[in-house]
Amino acid sequence: MRNSTLFFYCLSAEVLVLGLLLVHASVREGAAQDSLNEKSALVKRLGLTDLCLFTEARYTRHLSQADLNTPFQDHPLSLEHFPSGSFTQPPTGVTQSR
Amino acid sequence: MNAWIEKQRYIIDFTISSLLRRKVKNLGLLALYTLIVFILASTMFFTYSIKKEASLILKGSPEIVVQKILAGRHDLFPVGYIDTIKQIRGVVGVESRLWGYYYDSLVGANYTLLTPPKTAAGESHAKTASVEGEAGDADSAASSKPLLELNGAKLEPGTLIIGNGIARLRKLTRDDYMPFRAFDGTIMNLRIAGTLSSQSELVSSDLMLITEDDFRKLFGIDTQHVTDVIVTVKNPSEVATVAAKIKKRLIDSRPIIRDEILRTYDSIFNWRGGMMIVVFSAAVLAFVIFAWDKASGLSAGERREIGILKAVGWETSDVILMKFWEGAIVSLSAFFGGVILAYVHVFFTGSLVFEPALKGWSSLYPNFDLTPFINAEQLTTLFFLTVVPYTVATIVPIWRAATIDPDSAMRHTGE
Amino acid sequence: MIELVNVKKVFNAGNPSEFSALNSVNLCIAENHVTVLKGPSGSGKTTLLSIVGCMSRPSAGRVKLNGREITSLPERFLTDIRRKTFGFIFQQPNLIKGISVLENVMLPAYPLGEKRSQLRIKALHGLNELNLSSKANAKVEWLSGGEAQRVSIVRALINDPGIIIADEPTAHLDTKLSYRFMEIIEKFKAEGKTVIITSHDPLVYEAAMVDRVVNLRDGRIEDMPA
Repeated sequence: MRNSTLFFYCLSAEVLVLGLLLVHASVREGAAQDSLNEKSALVKRLGLTDLCLFTEARYTRHLSQADLNTPFQDHPLSLEHFPSGSFTQPPTGVTQSR
Repeated sequence: MNAWIEKQRYIIDFTISSLLRRKVKNLGLLALYTLIVFILASTMFFTYSIKKEASLILKGSPEIVVQKILAGRHDLFPVGYIDTIKQIRGVVGVESRLWGYYYDSLVGANYTLLTPPKTAAGESHAKTASVEGEAGDADSAASSKPLLELNGAKLEPGTLIIGNGIARLRKLTRDDYMPFRAFDGTIMNLRIAGTLSSQSELVSSDLMLITEDDFRKLFGIDTQHVTDVIVTVKNPSEVATVAAKIKKRLIDSRPIIRDEILRTYDSIFNWRGGMMIVVFSAAVLAFVIFAWDKASGLSAGERREIGILKAVGWETSDVILMKFWEGAIVSLSAFFGGVILAYVHVFFTGSLVFEPALKGWSSLYPNFDLTPFINAEQLTTLFFLTVVPYTVATIVPIWRAATIDPDSAMRHTGE
Repeated sequence: MIELVNVKKVFNAGNPSEFSALNSVNLCIAENHVTVLKGPSGSGKTTLLSIVGCMSRPSAGRVKLNGREITSLPERFLTDIRRKTFGFIFQQPNLIKGISVLENVMLPAYPLGEKRSQLRIKALHGLNELNLSSKANAKVEWLSGGEAQRVSIVRALINDPGIIIADEPTAHLDTKLSYRFMEIIEKFKAEGKTVIITSHDPLVYEAAMVDRVVNLRDGRIEDMPA
């Protein structure tokens, strides 16, 4: 087979696969409505304020409830010692001047 | 038109033959390029999905949460403050919250213990798994009725409803008993009444629902204090104003409004955050090195080849076209390969590669079964940031070589 | 028919290393003739050849092809003419490694976008004419010197040019292969093509089929055309 033909087949295959994955995405999005609704309902019923992403410490678990001091409660010079601190920043309300 | 297509095909034929001549080097290049795209795309998919989900799910979070601050720390909230807040104009309701953390030394995990509020903040959704026991009758004899009923599990005194992450970690099922060390050293044995669904792990993985009495007994918090309160406001657009009023009346309070909660999660995994900047910088640098290597010139062999092509009748534009295709073939293959792998990685394997970084020091780690929210804009940006520069970088160095006139080509190749 | 009028070629103009490769060259190349440009190294043979073959432009003077002036044509048109009119045979075969003989032969025709099946047939036919059919799919690295030279000849012919230009074609061939090469040239002449060769090999310029020998020395033609 000609090289160029092979290349076009491969490329078309890749485009096709990507297309299928995008279709999968929209299908999953539709199907996920139930799961999303369940989570929303739980949030509302229990009055939750945060996603359960990082359970290492109080201020990583409840990001939105943390204040600027909490990471440093152990010691004033206590620098960030959890990896998750490098993913997240203090809640917006805390760092902006009001 | 046909001649043009045929010409492109010929040139692609030749370009691929050229690339295959140095198989190992070019395959290595392709692999590395694909890896870079994979990392960037995975990061994009993951962070966007979480942010999107957060923005959807947390819409129902409390309008205002009020904390009490003592010496810069979150202190217990006196019940007496509640009336002060109730008197503020615009406030519809104030609900106290009891929640805290328990450290389980056995597995080294932190759990979030929570007493479900008596009424849902706002209206409750009908068609969900969480069903309030006897809705509407909040102040009837609550002690005899279960505080909460979820999936048939009743939360009664002496019981817990636990999140699926805890069940997984401690291998607990319904009717198992779990010992807790109370604040005064006594042991409390609580029975597992049920588990929260695995689908809700993103919000509930480490939760333990507990009754109010058990909570107070466990942590030694007297009835005059609660952890914080939730405030419901009549007019949603007045939330900020009410929050300001609360702050004014209760100097040592800290109101947190829903908008702040949502924005916190909007900026999570922001590229400006530590880890993200490292990942992106590394990827960008690797890419720059690539492109620079490509752009920094031709080998003698490549130059000779271009000379031959010019000598047998290829124009400058033909040679440049050939180089363009060389760049494009590698770029396109790497781009699609990387994006497809990234999609599979994030949405089929739950971001396996990122797990060590995300898990950090926590023992309890939720199942990241994310919903695929895809942002086409990000994909196109990634495309233009990778494919275009690389293709251009491939063309640049040959500009000079391609413009060699055939006479010189003939001379040099004659040697 | 190719005509050169007062052609001059200067290299590295303006630099201390400036030198004139050709000076006041007036030449007419006759059609369907075999013309040999003869002269010692440095006489400007290759330069003259490349100007005749539209591979470079003169610094001064004019070049006409079949009565049409081509000296100042833009590169695109010049390349087009060159592709269609001339076939070049170099000293070295200059084949591209890593691709097959057949692909090497088809290479000059790629930019023209001709239909592949037809091009293949033309290429195979050309290879057949020079007894190279069995080598069509071989890698060029495996060819002997003579075979490679012949492949480069087939390549030069792929666009069916009317004028064949060869630069020192026998420089790397032994006697037997040189004679074989001249036989091929004779064939071209019989087919109506025009042939221009540069060489200082007596085997070439003393061959019977050669119609005219032009002597070059220090960038000038020693004999004037009769």
